[in-house]
Amino acid sequence: MLETLLPILIFAALGLAVIGAWRRIRLWRQGRPAEVDLLRGLVAMPRRYLVDLHHVVGRDKVMSNTHVATAGGFVAAAVLMILVHGLGLGSPEVLGGLLGWLLLAASAVMFVGSLLVAKRRLNPPARLSRGPWMRLPKSLMAFSLSVFLITLTTVGVLPQDAGSWVLALILAAVLVWGLGEMVFGMTWGGPMKHAFAGALHLAFHRRAERFGGGRSTGLKALDLDDPDAKLGVETPSDFTWNQLLGFDACVQCGRCEAVCPAFAAGQPLNPKKLIQDMVVGLAGGSDAGYAGSPYPGKPVGEHFGSPHGPIVAREGKALVDDETLWSCTTCRACVEECPMMIEHVDAIVDMRRFLTLEHGNTPNKGAEVLDNLIATDNPGGFDPGSRLHWAADLNLPLMADVKQADVLLWLGDGAFDMRNQRTLRSLVKILRAAEVDFAVLGVEERDSGDVARRLGDEATFQSLARRNIATLAKYRFQRIVTCDPHSFHVLGNEYGELGGQYEVLHHSTFIAELYDAGRLAFAPWKGGSVTYHDPCYLGRYNGEYEAPRNVLKALGIEVKEMERSGFRSRCCGGGGGAPITDIPGERRIPDMRMNDVRETGAELVAVGCPQCTAMLEGVVDASAEVRDIAELVADALVANTQMEKPAAGAPPRSADKTTAEEVS
Amino acid sequence: MAFEALFEPIQIGKLTIRNRVVSTAHAEVHATDGGMTTDRYVKYYEEKAKGGCGLAICGGSSVVSIDSPQGWWSSVNLSTDRIIPHFQNLADAVHKHGGKIMIQITHMGRRSRWDGYDWSTLVSPSGIREPVHRSTCKTIEEEDIWRIIGDFAQAARRAKEGGLDGVELSAVHQHLIDQFWSPRVNKREDQWGGSFENRMRFGMEVLKAVRAEVGDDFVVGMRICGDEFHPDGLSHEDMKQIAAYYDATGQVDFFGVIGSGCDTHNTLANVIPNMSYPPEPFLHLAAGIKEVVSVPVIHAQNIKDPNQAQRILEGGYVDLVGMTRAHIADPHLIAKIKMGQIDQIKQCVGANYCIDRQYQGLDVLCIQNAATSREYMGLPHIIEKTEGPKRKVVVVGGGPGGMEAARVAAERGHEVTLFEAAEALGGQITIAAQAPQRDQIAGITRWYQLELARLKIDLRLGTRADEATLLDLRPDIVVLATGGHPFLEQDPQWGYSENPEESLVVSSWDILSGKVAPGKNVLIYDTICEFSGLSAADYLADKGAKVEIVTDDIKPGAAVGGTTFPTYYRSLYEKEVIMTSDLLLHKVYREGDGLVAVLENEYTGSLEERVVDQVVVENGVRPDEALYYALKEQSRNKGQVDLEALYAIQPQPCLSEAGDGFLLFRLGDCTAPRNTHAAIYDALRICKDF
Repeated sequence: MLETLLPILIFAALGLAVIGAWRRIRLWRQGRPAEVDLLRGLVAMPRRYLVDLHHVVGRDKVMSNTHVATAGGFVAAAVLMILVHGLGLGSPEVLGGLLGWLLLAASAVMFVGSLLVAKRRLNPPARLSRGPWMRLPKSLMAFSLSVFLITLTTVGVLPQDAGSWVLALILAAVLVWGLGEMVFGMTWGGPMKHAFAGALHLAFHRRAERFGGGRSTGLKALDLDDPDAKLGVETPSDFTWNQLLGFDACVQCGRCEAVCPAFAAGQPLNPKKLIQDMVVGLAGGSDAGYAGSPYPGKPVGEHFGSPHGPIVAREGKALVDDETLWSCTTCRACVEECPMMIEHVDAIVDMRRFLTLEHGNTPNKGAEVLDNLIATDNPGGFDPGSRLHWAADLNLPLMADVKQADVLLWLGDGAFDMRNQRTLRSLVKILRAAEVDFAVLGVEERDSGDVARRLGDEATFQSLARRNIATLAKYRFQRIVTCDPHSFHVLGNEYGELGGQYEVLHHSTFIAELYDAGRLAFAPWKGGSVTYHDPCYLGRYNGEYEAPRNVLKALGIEVKEMERSGFRSRCCGGGGGAPITDIPGERRIPDMRMNDVRETGAELVAVGCPQCTAMLEGVVDASAEVRDIAELVADALVANTQMEKPAAGAPPRSADKTTAEEVS
Repeated sequence: MAFEALFEPIQIGKLTIRNRVVSTAHAEVHATDGGMTTDRYVKYYEEKAKGGCGLAICGGSSVVSIDSPQGWWSSVNLSTDRIIPHFQNLADAVHKHGGKIMIQITHMGRRSRWDGYDWSTLVSPSGIREPVHRSTCKTIEEEDIWRIIGDFAQAARRAKEGGLDGVELSAVHQHLIDQFWSPRVNKREDQWGGSFENRMRFGMEVLKAVRAEVGDDFVVGMRICGDEFHPDGLSHEDMKQIAAYYDATGQVDFFGVIGSGCDTHNTLANVIPNMSYPPEPFLHLAAGIKEVVSVPVIHAQNIKDPNQAQRILEGGYVDLVGMTRAHIADPHLIAKIKMGQIDQIKQCVGANYCIDRQYQGLDVLCIQNAATSREYMGLPHIIEKTEGPKRKVVVVGGGPGGMEAARVAAERGHEVTLFEAAEALGGQITIAAQAPQRDQIAGITRWYQLELARLKIDLRLGTRADEATLLDLRPDIVVLATGGHPFLEQDPQWGYSENPEESLVVSSWDILSGKVAPGKNVLIYDTICEFSGLSAADYLADKGAKVEIVTDDIKPGAAVGGTTFPTYYRSLYEKEVIMTSDLLLHKVYREGDGLVAVLENEYTGSLEERVVDQVVVENGVRPDEALYYALKEQSRNKGQVDLEALYAIQPQPCLSEAGDGFLLFRLGDCTAPRNTHAAIYDALRICKDF
């Protein structure tokens, strides 16, 4: 009886799956067009899955093995099932019944995997969504067990007539359940949708370059010249189709939620919920079915949306509230952790663009900062002529005078900030000690556009970027060095699209290079224990984890690492304009970060970002001093005996504790 | 606060100054060895530059001619080329930290003393005597005038060749240039006096000669008065006219403006306003000058606080603020602003210990910062953490000496406990601050409170430490700064008793602290003649008492410095306090409800009586030594301070000697009654090596 029933069931399920897939694809195609090389993407997909995706999944070994067993077992079992039970190729006459035995093995492996999945669901961590996901291990078991048992008769371990027809029917029913979840559900929208959408998402990823280590953001420059173009994303269908596809790939594992600093601070953002809301929006409906952690302080079930309806309502509620979008620090911890390679941050900025450009709705100090940028080319609204005031006594070479230099020292807006001026002065001292041929733009420099872009003001970003690019084009230099990771990222990775191609180095990278070349010498470290805080825009955005640590090592410092360091570093709370939009939460992100520092027992936290310095120094009753790597290096500088002639200008002085000189 | 206005660089002539803060010209007094700047001088200015000061104008009243005596105040002598290499050291030391340095040059005319050194014949436009220095002078001759004009030019050349960034011509404080300006002292009828142009001529010729000598790429400024405050002197409108007249030459790069003339004791007190003045009392005069000139204007006078400075600059009243005493109190003022450590700035309290010492011909020191002008000895403004053992340091007494000891020991990284019997820190400062117009002295305590809180010492207020309490803490070092008590028991005839009911006299502490209610008719007998007696008199008069202050010294307040006694006198005369000198307090006895004070004339022995209802005796402090002697024999060093090490600013040898038990040091008034600076200095030099 089963020989007859099984092909029908299998092909019916497959047929339904195809219909489901077509429907799902139609949903995705509501999105804006995007240029994707479909064929190359499909070809690259297995590698992206096996290497890039598993690199992320593999951070959790148990889960990785579970997934290998379950998914590998399922894929093999599904293919073999079609061959064996769908096409009847499992009999001993074909390849000696090998396929049947393989199917047995595959379903057994899958069953073992599903036991592990079930175990994980026994007492699941808060980050995992419940709901349909709770039945998934049972469905996996239903599928693998029924296939296994049915196949036992196929290979002849059990006689064909084993058990009664009742038993066969029960078995078939269980299989129907399994097929329903695993095949039908894959395209019609159950937990298994992730396999279908996920595979295609990998193939048609919006930021394909990330798989080769590319450092882009997916913030494509808006075409500001088209008067009819909607600026930014208002409705789910304003995302590109492959962004929608990406949202659909979410497995609700909540790794993003677990690392999101805004979520931890009790601000109304949960990246997982946000992605799920986009999924709700793309199909239409309410978020009532969502079974994970909510946005802190926001009950589930009160929001709803549709593909062509607004994501954020001007008044009342729609799919998400605007404060959710403004809570993001753009730290990319979620993106880094997402096993499905979803790009949460870019999506958030796309939605912010609409709020800022079309509604003029940037909350709190946002509008003021943008106005400042427009009027003064810096977010603080400082007199643009005062950018070099901190260096009045340093006689810095100006590009306008020297026209060319090996290194263009990009100051960033920290030039207006007394705290960061100490870092800049230290950096100048270092460059002089190493006899680097450098110059600054001085008052010709403008804000890089980072804050404008993250706040969604693409127009101001492009205006700043184009003018900076035009200024830079006037001069000849080999490289740009900056102590600001935000400028570093924007100049290095986002100006390219607008025609500015530069080699940009973070100062820690450059200092490490100078040290390795024997151009700097340091007195032994006499201070206390030190930890290092990775800035998001240096680490996760640009992959520079080693240079700062190498510099600290060269200083004789043994870094006491925080539990969350390197690619898992916790944001200081200062990125993405978050301190400007200042969405209230229950805690402050920098407080949590300084608590991470406290747990190491370090007396000093070394940083490499003006924003991080400002945020971490703003913590009351901190246990550690906050100092930029440049300051530590400048304090430790001693005359370099390897260099034949003394350094230009004042001879390097021995390191002393007071920073009065660097301050003055 | 971002202090943008404070940190906006400014161009003076062709020179860029990195910020708007100036240490203006003042006599350092420790300047020189025969008029040549010393290592001490260089280090004093280097510290300001290191601390971020934009511009220092050094050498107040540095002389250009040999007949302007420089010996009295050890001012810098620019009348010889020997000064040039000394200037080069000074300029290098300041420039290497990004600062700029100029020097004030002058001929003081009649404003000095003639009776010493070269026994100069002083000169003045009309030979009129100067009261503050009791100086007489000859009427200047044409030949002297032209010689001195040439001397100005040569002095400016020496400053330039020495690498300094500019000169400031002093036409203030009644020096020779403004002696010519002021009709009060210039009665000439030749081309150097009479009409406006004639009175301006000498200064103009000096300016032209100096500019011709140094050229355009060297800063030449002028310091002028904003109003002499004498009816027969130069008014504010006169000064505006003068400033505009010189500005019109285009040869002056900046003007420094000071409110008030100073050829009387009373006007002199205005020039360096003490704590009785409001903030920036004469800013309006500088702002008035700024209205009529085209170059930057500098103004100093009671600008002590960064917020105040920022407000003045933002308001556009002047272009640069002089924070001169502010830098004497804390040469790292600017660095601390930039470090976001505004609370750590040791702010000048206007005690004028610095300038009052100067008028006594003593080196300029700060009442609350013992490291200032002792940089060359190795006394630190920033205390380094020790690399040696961490010690348990117990300090007894929360007056200035004890607070400094606790601060320094805590900065060294030691575990510090401070006992203070009173409910608040401050010791005698707290008492001193009760007098009218003297409340700002409490700023010294305020800074220590903030610092000790920042350093998280174990502060035990309201706790009198005894021997057992101390030893229970098992200290490594005990520092006693227990101070003393008013010395009323010296003469039994005064009738002092420890029982307040029986005692015929009370102390100035009793009065100022409010422990004893003010009488209605009070005699103050003051043998000390410093602040305490005048403060008690002012306090009592302020409360409505009839007060007579009597001293056996030459006058009440005789030991109070030249910028401070005038503000006391203003207040005391206003309140009709009678000041009597040359009488000893012979005896006090009770008669009916009142008291009779018998006074004896020091010089004739004759007796006179006063019938009063309260007798206040200010007879200084008697050290409280009991705790010291209780601990002395148990301590490893028997409480002894190694004087050679102390005076050489070297570590006390006992600190590095092994042994059991504790080391004992005492300092401040519990050793011998001296002053706030002495207590703080001893605390710093003993504790800096803990």
